[in-house]
Amino acid sequence: MDFELGQRADAVRARLNDLIKTHIPQDFLGAFTDDPADLELTMEFCARLAEEGLLCIGWPKEYGGGDGTVWEQAVVREEMWAWHEPRGPQYMGVNWVGPAIMRHGTDAQKAQHLPAIAAGRVIWCQGFSEPEAGSDLAALRTTAVPDGAGWLISGQKVWTSYASMAGWCVLAAATDPSASKSRRLTLFLVPMDRPGIEVRPIASMLGPHHLNEVFIDDLRVGPDDVLGAVGGGWKVMRDALAHERVGIARYARCEALLKRVFDYLGPRWDELPEALQTRWVRALTQIRVAKLLAYVAVGGAGDGVDDVAASAARVATTTLDQTVAELLFEVMGGISLDAGPGAAVHGAVEDHWRYAQASTVASGTIEMQRTIVARQLLGGR
Amino acid sequence: MDFRLPDDVRQLGDAAARRFARLGGVDLARRAEADPAVRREAADALRDLGTDDLDVRADEEQLLAGGALCRAAGAVALPWPLVGQLLRSGAHLLALVDERGLRVDHGDAAPSWIGADLDGRAWLLTDLATPTTGKLGPFVRTGVLGEQIEPIAADDRARYLVLQAWTVLGALEAVTADVVEHVRTRHQFGHALADFQVIRFSLADAAIAVRGLEQLTKLTSWRLGTGDARGNLADAIALRLHASEVATNVLRVGHQFYGALGFCDETDLSVIDRHLQPVLRYPLSAERMAQSLIPYVRDQSFTSAIA
Repeated sequence: MDFELGQRADAVRARLNDLIKTHIPQDFLGAFTDDPADLELTMEFCARLAEEGLLCIGWPKEYGGGDGTVWEQAVVREEMWAWHEPRGPQYMGVNWVGPAIMRHGTDAQKAQHLPAIAAGRVIWCQGFSEPEAGSDLAALRTTAVPDGAGWLISGQKVWTSYASMAGWCVLAAATDPSASKSRRLTLFLVPMDRPGIEVRPIASMLGPHHLNEVFIDDLRVGPDDVLGAVGGGWKVMRDALAHERVGIARYARCEALLKRVFDYLGPRWDELPEALQTRWVRALTQIRVAKLLAYVAVGGAGDGVDDVAASAARVATTTLDQTVAELLFEVMGGISLDAGPGAAVHGAVEDHWRYAQASTVASGTIEMQRTIVARQLLGGR
Repeated sequence: MDFRLPDDVRQLGDAAARRFARLGGVDLARRAEADPAVRREAADALRDLGTDDLDVRADEEQLLAGGALCRAAGAVALPWPLVGQLLRSGAHLLALVDERGLRVDHGDAAPSWIGADLDGRAWLLTDLATPTTGKLGPFVRTGVLGEQIEPIAADDRARYLVLQAWTVLGALEAVTADVVEHVRTRHQFGHALADFQVIRFSLADAAIAVRGLEQLTKLTSWRLGTGDARGNLADAIALRLHASEVATNVLRVGHQFYGALGFCDETDLSVIDRHLQPVLRYPLSAERMAQSLIPYVRDQSFTSAIA
């Protein structure tokens, strides 16, 4: 038994910490702000990570990656999320779009898309959720109707993160609406500037640019745009969602924030009510548990992500996110709602609380994760 | 990173489970309540498994072997003070105690005991024969602090708490498996209980909590061989705190879905719950454990780092 991540992973962490310290301002709270400079900063930082071989560290070398171990990848996830994801919207392409193209894409798709993702030059979004198909993705209604050699797609997507910034979208549509769940969907790789796509931002408590609607009207796609097999979209989506469940190391933000607030408070930590100090003790323990469950999900079952372990890890880390958000609001008391760079800890506590509210909803609701765990435990649906 | 227990440790755990099953599993605890002398069967089984030769202070593997025995013992509420035996000093078994209310589980099972509090202050214990007569912890004995002796090392206190956590883990794994079986076979309103979403979700949460406890117990056992004594003790207290709180939730879920039957001693759940209570409550309640960790957070001896 050994719980060390290894020298290579430790070295990656040290390099990332240096890069973050040098290039990311302390008040950076992610790319989802009204200041275009924040998005620009993430693009520059991604290019730098790419040059250092850190952006796609888990990818094979032949596709511009670093052949990194799962533990090196875990370290990248942790350090990025701890410091408010300075990869910005690149996370989606690196984490699952690229790997899905490697696995299911044609040679032409690989040649077109993988170098761009590996260099940090392109932003992807994921056109899955719809107004009538959130957790029940297989029931989505956006339809691809055959037209000549290709299809015409019409429908509506919603909650689409990065859509307003993205150059490309992985779009899910029903090519055979009456077929079974496993055969009715197809995925398409579509440039966002192709006629027939309109993005409208949705104002939300999560902050600007987080959520968007995407309206699709007679969007023309061809056979070259299909990712994987026609009718094979559901399988690719399931793979993608398993990656996404462990793709965000939420426990790392919790860990970093507790440390930042501890440092901010200094001797005043001793003056906190004992009830909050004991909640703090429990939160530290809960972080350990969430981290361990995430490690088991990515490294406990050989290659790939263990589906049930990923769901267990997701339940642990998302509930932790909300526990820490509430704890820190209690700790900050009267200044908890203060936002922006002028606020205590550069507004990171307020930012975390808002974002944590969505943690049990995004990337598959906590109910879906419980369903997956329960299925293994009890059988049935 | 390697989460797997060493092969020898797993084999010992399997052998212990088989040996305890031959004693009747949880039935041994039931029989012991009627005739406490029956507990000798548990002691004999532990001797057969090599407990007397195990030195949990020696290295990580032997501590894990002790953990495997405790896990198997917890799964059947083995009526014997195994943790105290594994950390004996000469003829004295060890019990971590709260001097404000001295109680020792199975205190009458051995002739001599050392009691130590979480700070390490230690005493010889006397007059441990008197039962508390409760349904919860049926072998709990009152006692008296005798002569104060040399303090117990922090690492031994940490090992004690970690072995308690392995015991709790074994109990909760058994309870979860038992409740899963119950909800799959028990029908209400024309459906198996396992078909109701609220039951599925609650059991999923319980199973995730037990998975998490398993990993934290492994991690803390491993860290005992790597860190300083103060940090090790903090880790172990945090683990025991977590084990107690997971146990409270998992046992509550178990009772809820078993219904009235779960309170009857014919179910393993009832027996395991009652016998586990001293492990969960001694040396300190969960909240007092949490309070005791505050100074360790303050001086950064306890953080969320795992390696």
